[in-house]
Amino acid sequence: MTKPRLRTTAQWLLGIWLLVVAIAAFHWAPTARGFKGESSRIVFFHVPQAWVAVLAFCVNLVASLRYLRGRDPLDDARAAAAARLGLVFSVLATITGSLFAHVMWGSFWNWDPREVSIVILLLIYAAYFALREAITDDERRASLAAAYAILAFVTMPFLIFIVPRIYFSLHPDTLINTRGAMDMESRMFQVLMGSLVGFTGLFSWLYTLDVRLAKIRLARRRREEV
Amino acid sequence: MAVLAKELTAELRGRVALNAVGLFGLTTLIAVAYQIGPYRIADADRPHLLAALLWIILYFAAASGLPRVFVKEEDARTAKTLRLAARPGAVFTGKFLFNVILLAALEAFLVPLYCALMSYGIAGIGPFTLLLACGAVALAATSTIVAAIISRATGSGTLFAILSVPLVLPLLVFLIQGTRAASASAGLAEVLPALRAVTSLAGVTLVTSAFIFPVVWHE
Repeated sequence: MTKPRLRTTAQWLLGIWLLVVAIAAFHWAPTARGFKGESSRIVFFHVPQAWVAVLAFCVNLVASLRYLRGRDPLDDARAAAAARLGLVFSVLATITGSLFAHVMWGSFWNWDPREVSIVILLLIYAAYFALREAITDDERRASLAAAYAILAFVTMPFLIFIVPRIYFSLHPDTLINTRGAMDMESRMFQVLMGSLVGFTGLFSWLYTLDVRLAKIRLARRRREEV
Repeated sequence: MAVLAKELTAELRGRVALNAVGLFGLTTLIAVAYQIGPYRIADADRPHLLAALLWIILYFAAASGLPRVFVKEEDARTAKTLRLAARPGAVFTGKFLFNVILLAALEAFLVPLYCALMSYGIAGIGPFTLLLACGAVALAATSTIVAAIISRATGSGTLFAILSVPLVLPLLVFLIQGTRAASASAGLAEVLPALRAVTSLAGVTLVTSAFIFPVVWHE
């Protein structure tokens, strides 16, 4: 099978997978106890979006470290691509989280530690792009953006893992909790894992497209310079 | 230490950063104290609001002066000379220590004034002082490396706030919580979780800054 055909097949499989997950989320997985109405079904979309936002952050970090080591412009493009997607998924996670908060607690925003952590991730991505826009020289932009990405990454574990454990949080802790227990019904867990795989695949596909576009732009720029 | 001595000498001659942070802090404090004062906050809200207001005033006062430590080198075109004269580690350490001293001076000036004007009683003076010290180190660590990054970009004035706020927010959360605990109780145990978090954050930021500063400095 040729590479383009393999790619097309993978894209179709991803689309079908996500469709199956969406159907299972609404028609196969049960609703969770202790949640209002059907609101618990949002977990199948909100959690994967938050997961992808953090994954994009990690990819951004790795690409930034690689750039500082090898000074390959493609690594800078990879870092920027990951940050762009991270920003999109952070916004989506914030929106879905707000919708859930409105249904459960009557308010779109409760300044819960987990809510605050996703907003700070959003701010970090926005600051990353503000820094990139403020520097005209390509190499300097890449180096300074990489330095900021590394600095920002070390702050995030405090918000994502430490603050919700020290301070009270309204956020449900069925998966990540101090008891080390999994409090989710098995069908719900299966759909959630399926959704996680699907969203990760979606991120991977969009990221690959962005990086391929960056490769083409870099190649064109090199030809123009010659 | 030579870089620190240079910074202190230059600052004592010109007093630009001192005046900036001192006056900004004082102006903000007066505005807050005049409008809110000790009587306009309900007793139940005082612990949260007063702790939050204190650190907001301290942070924004610091933000008006801390970025200068690198920006002034680029503006005065002395950065290239400094790159030739000193190793990156020495430059970062000197600038970081200068910022710690500046913040400590700001806290020594503003905090007693704030407590007096807002009638803010602190039950645990010892833990609170420790929190202020750790907070100064952590804030200085973040501000110094961000100042180094923005000094190489255009629009450095606005960029400092944009870049530093997401990084400083977790630190401010811990400091405010610690201050609340210190104002309510004299014991160290209540402030310890916040102290641990602030110290960890300071340590992690310093180590990361030591790793990335040579890249930023020579870019």
